[in-house]
Amino acid sequence: MLKYILKRVAAMALTLFIILSLSFFAIRLIPGDIAGQGAAPELKAALEARYHLDKPLLEQYVIFLKNFLSFDFGESINLYPRRPVFQIIRDKIPTTLQLNIFSLALTIPIGLACGIAAALKKNTWVDYAISAMVVFNVSIPSFVFATVMQYIFCYKLEWFPFLLELEDSSFSLSKFWSMILPILALSFGGISTITRYMRAELFEALNSEYMLLSKSKGLSKLQSTLRHALRNSFIPLCNVIIPMFMNLLGGSMVVENIFGIPGIGSLTSASIQTSDYYLTIAVLFFYSCISLTSMLLVDLSYGIVDPRIRIGGGKVRE
Amino acid sequence: MERILEVKDLHIHFNAFAGAVKAIRGVSFHLNKGETLAIVGESGSGKSVTTKAVTRILPDNAVIDNGEITYKGMDLLAMTEKEFNNIRGNEIGLIFQDPLSALDPVMKIGKQITETLILKQKMPKKEAEARALELMKAVGIPNAEQRFHEYPFQFSGGMRQRIVIAIALASNPQLLICDEPTTALDVTIQSQILELIKKIQKERNLSVIFITHDLGVVANMADRVDVMYAGKIVEEGTVEDIFYDPKHPYTWSLLASMPNLDTKGGDELMVIPGTPPNMLYPPKGDAFAPRNHYAMKIDFDREPPMFKVSDTHYAATWLLHPDAPKVEMPAHLKHRIELQLKEAEKYNG
Repeated sequence: MLKYILKRVAAMALTLFIILSLSFFAIRLIPGDIAGQGAAPELKAALEARYHLDKPLLEQYVIFLKNFLSFDFGESINLYPRRPVFQIIRDKIPTTLQLNIFSLALTIPIGLACGIAAALKKNTWVDYAISAMVVFNVSIPSFVFATVMQYIFCYKLEWFPFLLELEDSSFSLSKFWSMILPILALSFGGISTITRYMRAELFEALNSEYMLLSKSKGLSKLQSTLRHALRNSFIPLCNVIIPMFMNLLGGSMVVENIFGIPGIGSLTSASIQTSDYYLTIAVLFFYSCISLTSMLLVDLSYGIVDPRIRIGGGKVRE
Repeated sequence: MERILEVKDLHIHFNAFAGAVKAIRGVSFHLNKGETLAIVGESGSGKSVTTKAVTRILPDNAVIDNGEITYKGMDLLAMTEKEFNNIRGNEIGLIFQDPLSALDPVMKIGKQITETLILKQKMPKKEAEARALELMKAVGIPNAEQRFHEYPFQFSGGMRQRIVIAIALASNPQLLICDEPTTALDVTIQSQILELIKKIQKERNLSVIFITHDLGVVANMADRVDVMYAGKIVEEGTVEDIFYDPKHPYTWSLLASMPNLDTKGGDELMVIPGTPPNMLYPPKGDAFAPRNHYAMKIDFDREPPMFKVSDTHYAATWLLHPDAPKVEMPAHLKHRIELQLKEAEKYNG
């Protein structure tokens, strides 16, 4: 197991290195320069000198890598001049995290409940209604949801503020109130994904032979569903739920922009728009770390929850 | 003899996409205490459906149209699901065809055996575990203490079937239904499992219904035999009746199509022509008539009733009607039975 994890971490490091290099060069292909249009040539030269941009690209790359390896991720150029990139990201995470924790607290229970209900009541109106909801949610992108909700609830009905309230950093009721719409917009997609998976997995488990056996040994339908079908159908669900936990940190570019949420998602788009090279690279690196770690966690989780992988790797003893 | 189970005029159909599939069309049989009844027939003849009806684990699209199932004087079909949960496991145990998929893959073996004891019989955990270990030893699992904590995938097919048997026996049922328990196993394991079932039956004086399409297994296990075809029982009798004096042309064909030790390489085995009828549209007369070499005109028009051959032996064929022409079983089958009888005499004498 330890050997496996080490191998995976090594592979992860290699992947991250490739991503880092690619993003370093790709970012230079985006039009625009750091000084902005119409800046005085002296200013431009000074800026370029400060950020080593006057050197050949390969040399820049070497300097960049050296700094990166010593955990110096650079400074922001335009968005938050001279502030270390690491600090900026660290400051943005709490907002995104707060929102996404609420969203996840909504997504997982509702998704599971809908999926279980649909599987237990397959081919009844309950199932049809839930499936219709899933199709609806999956086919409409979150930014459409967000704008439509904003139009109806903020503009027409005036129930909620348009943007997230930011006055005080502490948590208050009015802040929570302003968070409701973004939370909803963030949750719809996840709910449908979990519902769809749960329904399919549970339905398969309910029709398995071991359910017949547990019924034939005298367990009630409720008992055998809880003890056998659900346990079995939760295993493949790790695949969906663990990445959701990791994405708590990532946030959503679109939804954060629409509701003016100063989180990681809106930081990403803002840094790209202002040619803030080091900030963009750092944000991309951060996202890559999240998704690679969640993939690793998913694979490891199978080894923990599924005894067939944990113990045997398929060995049979006579 | 005390009748433990009685099924009367059972009719079941399945609501399928194409229409109603009439799977069981008037099945009646009974089981005496302590005996083994084998139900034989080809795939789709309704063997499994009948026993699933007895344990009420039919799929949702199955409908019981008519019939009575009485177990120890209780009407099983009239019970509520809650009442019936006390019959399942406690009174009637079930052994499945495929032990590879019958066990929950992510639950430890021990827990799967003790589950019912703890949940339903409210047995203390320690006691239930002791009982499970005892059962595991009784069904022949070595190192029971260690294997108690293992998962199904760590067991071979034969061992898993032993576990399934242990689970079925956990709450001391009086009736054991074995639905093709050896079909998924290889031949050497098959005979071990059959011996085990036999031994358990003797020790616990169980009544057993044994579903199979393997006539060799029937001869080895059963006291009485029901031969099923197209959702009906076409012949019923003791093992001797069925193997030495079969009356129904379908039974003749089944017996004649089975190779035995005297079958030589060049010998041609008897083949039953055609295929079983489509149960969406069951035929009007005797369902076997289109494949029956001995069919008469009446076989295509009217279903034959059960004719009595002896007190233990019944068969549903018009050939047994007093007005029917005298028809003997095929000569090679007769020859074969004579040889077998001689063998049996030598063996007994």
